[in-house]
Order: sequence, then structure tokens, then C-alpha cells
Amino acid sequence: MSNAQIYEQGYRRYDGPRLPLRSSITSLAIHSMRRGLGLRRTFWAKLLPIATVVIAYVPAAVFVGIAALIPDEITDEVDAIPDYADYFGNISAAIILFVAIVGPEVLCSDRRNGMLGMYLASPLTRETYLLAKVLGVLPVLLLVTLGPELLLLVGRSLVDAGPESVGDFLLVLLRVLASGIAMSAIYTAISLAAASLTDRRAFASAGVILLILMSGGVTAALVEEADLDRNLYLLNIGFLPIELVYRVFGEPGGEPSLSTASVALASLAWTLASGALVVWRYRKLTIAR
Amino acid sequence: MTAIVRARGVVKRWGSTVALGGVDAEIQPGVTGLLGANGAGKTTLLGLILGLHRQDEGTLEVLGLDPTTAGPEVRARLGYAPEHDALPGDVRAHDLVRHMVEIHGLPAKEAVGRASDALWHVGLGEERFRPVGTMSTGQKQRVKLASALAHDPALLLLDEPTNGLDPMQRDSMLELIRRIGTDFGISVILSSHLLEEVERVCDGVLILSAGTVVTSGTLDELRGSGGALVVEPDDRLDDLVAALAQKGFEVEVIGTRLVVTGDDIAVADAVRDASIALGIGLRRMQRRTATLEDVFLAGTGS
Repeated sequence: MSNAQIYEQGYRRYDGPRLPLRSSITSLAIHSMRRGLGLRRTFWAKLLPIATVVIAYVPAAVFVGIAALIPDEITDEVDAIPDYADYFGNISAAIILFVAIVGPEVLCSDRRNGMLGMYLASPLTRETYLLAKVLGVLPVLLLVTLGPELLLLVGRSLVDAGPESVGDFLLVLLRVLASGIAMSAIYTAISLAAASLTDRRAFASAGVILLILMSGGVTAALVEEADLDRNLYLLNIGFLPIELVYRVFGEPGGEPSLSTASVALASLAWTLASGALVVWRYRKLTIAR
Repeated sequence: MTAIVRARGVVKRWGSTVALGGVDAEIQPGVTGLLGANGAGKTTLLGLILGLHRQDEGTLEVLGLDPTTAGPEVRARLGYAPEHDALPGDVRAHDLVRHMVEIHGLPAKEAVGRASDALWHVGLGEERFRPVGTMSTGQKQRVKLASALAHDPALLLLDEPTNGLDPMQRDSMLELIRRIGTDFGISVILSSHLLEEVERVCDGVLILSAGTVVTSGTLDELRGSGGALVVEPDDRLDDLVAALAQKGFEVEVIGTRLVVTGDDIAVADAVRDASIALGIGLRRMQRRTATLEDVFLAGTGS
């Protein structure tokens, strides 16, 4: 006799607890991080973001290798290993490309495929949705604004080419953390602002790159050719985050005529203005009309 | 019975366009059809129920709460499947549904099981790990339904869920919606412009036209509200017609039956009195039942 039984599965009601709003925000943030990196998606969706992240780490790995293999006297003499603040000069193209990929991927897709309507039909509001997106983009950008610097610091310390005392190590670590987070915050705001202006990822990505390149070109022309005020460099969003990193490390940077306070304030202004643009755009969006 | 949605004088304008012009309605638990032509205001009403917009005038209550002030609390208990494609093509169906369950506040472990269950319920159990982009239109509609259903909402809002489906897929989707309302015990508001599908699955209906409610109630009430009785006497048809006409009723003769227009009770009393006076028997006396199409056409003045 067979023991086989047929079960009618039926519908199961849910009587358990419903978690507070922050769990919805966390869930969307994690989903957005995965989306930004192409995780749990096709090979082609992963290729560009992962390749860009790898490119950002390669110089750090090479510099640590050089520090391990070549004596300090020689590396110091030929200036083979850049300072922490100088490192971003080696990977700025990778950072810009990554910023141009991640923000639009995370924000444009939901509007283009209609998921935004599904999200806003959940406990999320427009503001908490955007908060989740910021929390999804910012940590992902830290992969290129913080990770390589940490690798450089830890790697150099392990091969005795890092800070000489625990105090120095902690100071550099603090500066690495502060500069990485600040840079990531500025770029998060910029990339989300560009992404809020169009549903098409490609246009938004091109917009981010154009904004960074053109702001550099235009301000350089105005200052160097038209001999206008050098404070105009504060409008150069390609230059500003890296200049801020120099100031965090206590170095004069590429434009010593600018005060550290003005660099910090301009960075904050770019971040807040970009954030305000995103919020304004999303408050104006009409869903389920 | 407590209404799940209660609207009083709800007005919503989009610029100079009046999308809803003073909606008064009470939607009871069960499956309710939100019926109206394109542009009648169905989607706008759904948006207000979801708290996605704020009405310009009037009050709205959903599950006992005001969606404009308690939007997140209301939406945590609602499931919504929008009309248009709302699915990322490169995400697996199970991942998407599980994610939507988590977004509605259920723990991650619970979300995994409920996502699978919901996809089985909508008939996609075997396909649940396929990317949504590789699915047919019918399957995508089912994934949307599973996403709206999996977190166990108190009320499910379905906006034109049979759009793009072939007749067999449509039948199967309607059967599923009916089951959700009856077997699963979840109230459903089904927005549609198709009378036949509302008539097939709904207990009640709210008909909108140009932003106003033209009629609402249970299907039984509406079908029975033809405002006339059908009467079939044993004999002396002409005498009965004459007697009723003399009392001022409008009478139409269809074969051996009379259709007497007027208030149900007044007509019934008059028919009773006339038949007694004439000494004739009655084989049948019942309310004239209208089709939903009759109700819709009468309501919209089409």
C-alpha cells in the first residue's frame, strides 16, 4: 500500500509581526547595492561595475608590491609611491566611470520599468525611497573612494612602509575614512541628481561624465584664459572632491589659492543642491494618475 | 459590515482637468469591480486609496485610516498590481517577489517562503527562478499579482490585470482573482473597463464615469434594480394590462408576460389588487433583472 498523500497547500495568512519602516529602507538599500554592482543579474550587467572596481584597486596593489619589494631609499628617491591624497589622481577615470554607472543604474531603472510605482505602493514614501537609494549608492561608491586607500594604508603598514606609529596610523586612517566618505557623498548626490533628470540610464551616465568634464573645461577656460576669479574652480566638480581630499590630508592641493573652508563649503553646497534637485524631481513625479 | 474604503465628496484635479468630481462611495469587503471607460478616474481613485496623491476636497478612509496622513500604515496592508509593466526584466521572479515582501515589512526568512508560496498560487511555481524578462505577458501579469499578494494584504488593488492576456490566460486570471476573494479571504478592488470580467468575478461594483460615481452596490442589488416587475398571469392578459394602465403604470407586453415599470412595492401591490379584482391567478411575479451592461448604460447615460 502506498503512503502517498495529496496535500492541498491552501493560502497561509501571515499573523506575525510587520517590521518597522527602517527594515523596508534597508531592504531596498541592499537591493539597490546589488543592482548597482550587477549582482544576481546577468554576466554583462556585472562586467562594467566589477571591472571598474578592480581597476581602482590595481594601482594600490601595485604600490604595496613596490613598497614590499623595493627599499624605501629608492622608492623615496624616485617618488614611486604616491601619498594617500595623490592616489586618487591615478584612479580618477575609474571613479568617474563608476559614479556614472552606479547612480543611473540604481535610480533610472525603477522609473523606466515601473518599479517606482510598486515601491511607492508599499510603506515607503518618496522621501524614504530616496533615502534607501542614497544608502544603496553611497556604500557602493565607497568601494572606489575608500577601499583602495584602505588597501594602500593596510598594505603599506604590513610591509613596514606605512605610518611609523600607532598614533600616525590612526590619524591617516581617520583621514582616509573622512575623505572617502566625503568624496562618496558628493559623487552620490551628483550621480543621483543626473539620474533624476532622465529615465534613460545611458543619458544619465553620459550626463554625469559630461558634467564632470565640462565643468573642468569651462572653469579652466574662464580662470586661465579670461583671467576671472580663481574661486570659479569651486564650480569644477571634477576637481573639487579631489581637492577636498588634499585638504583633509592637510596638503595645499592643486589650487592653494582657495581656502580649505571654501573648498569644504563648495563641496557641501554641491551635495545639498544635487540632493535638493533629486527630492524636487521626485516630489513632482506623478504615479498612478 | 465595515466598509474597507469610504469616500465622501472626494475631488481630485490635475491642473485644470477634474479627474474625480466629488466621489461618494463605500466599498465593502469582497471582490469589487471598479468599472469605467478609460479616463473615468479609476486609476486616480486607486492612487488616492494608496495615498500616492492627496485629494483636493473631501475625505477618504481606507481600512479605517486616512491614507493622506497614515500612508505607510495603509500601504503596509495593501497589495497593488499596476496596469503597466512594472517589472525589471533581468531579475528572477522569486527574487522580485521576495524583495517586495520584505519591503512590506515581513522578516527575510518569512519572505523566502511566502514568495515561493505566492508564485505557486499564481501558477508559476515551476518557473519561479526564471528572469522575469524571459516570461510571457500572462506570466508577467501573474508575477505582478504574486508580488502584490505575497505579503498577505488586507486589500488587493488590481489595475486592469487582464490587459494583454489571451482568452485562456484571461479566464485563468479571473478564476484566480475570484479565488483570492473567496478562498484566500482577501478583499480585492478590480479596476477594469470590461463589464464581462467584472460581472464574472465581482460581488460588488462601483461604476465611474467622467470622475463621478454613477452607481454602486452589490451586483445582485444592481441587477435587481431594473425598476420593474415581470408578471405572468394565467389568463386575461389584456384585462390586467388595462387595469394596471388605469392605475397609471407603464406596462409593456412581451409574449405572455408583462413588464410593469415603477417602484417594486407599489407595482406588486397594484398587480396583487388587480389580479384579485379580476379573479386571475399569477404564474410568476419577479423583479426584472438587468445585466451589468444595462446598469452601466443606464448609469452613464450611453
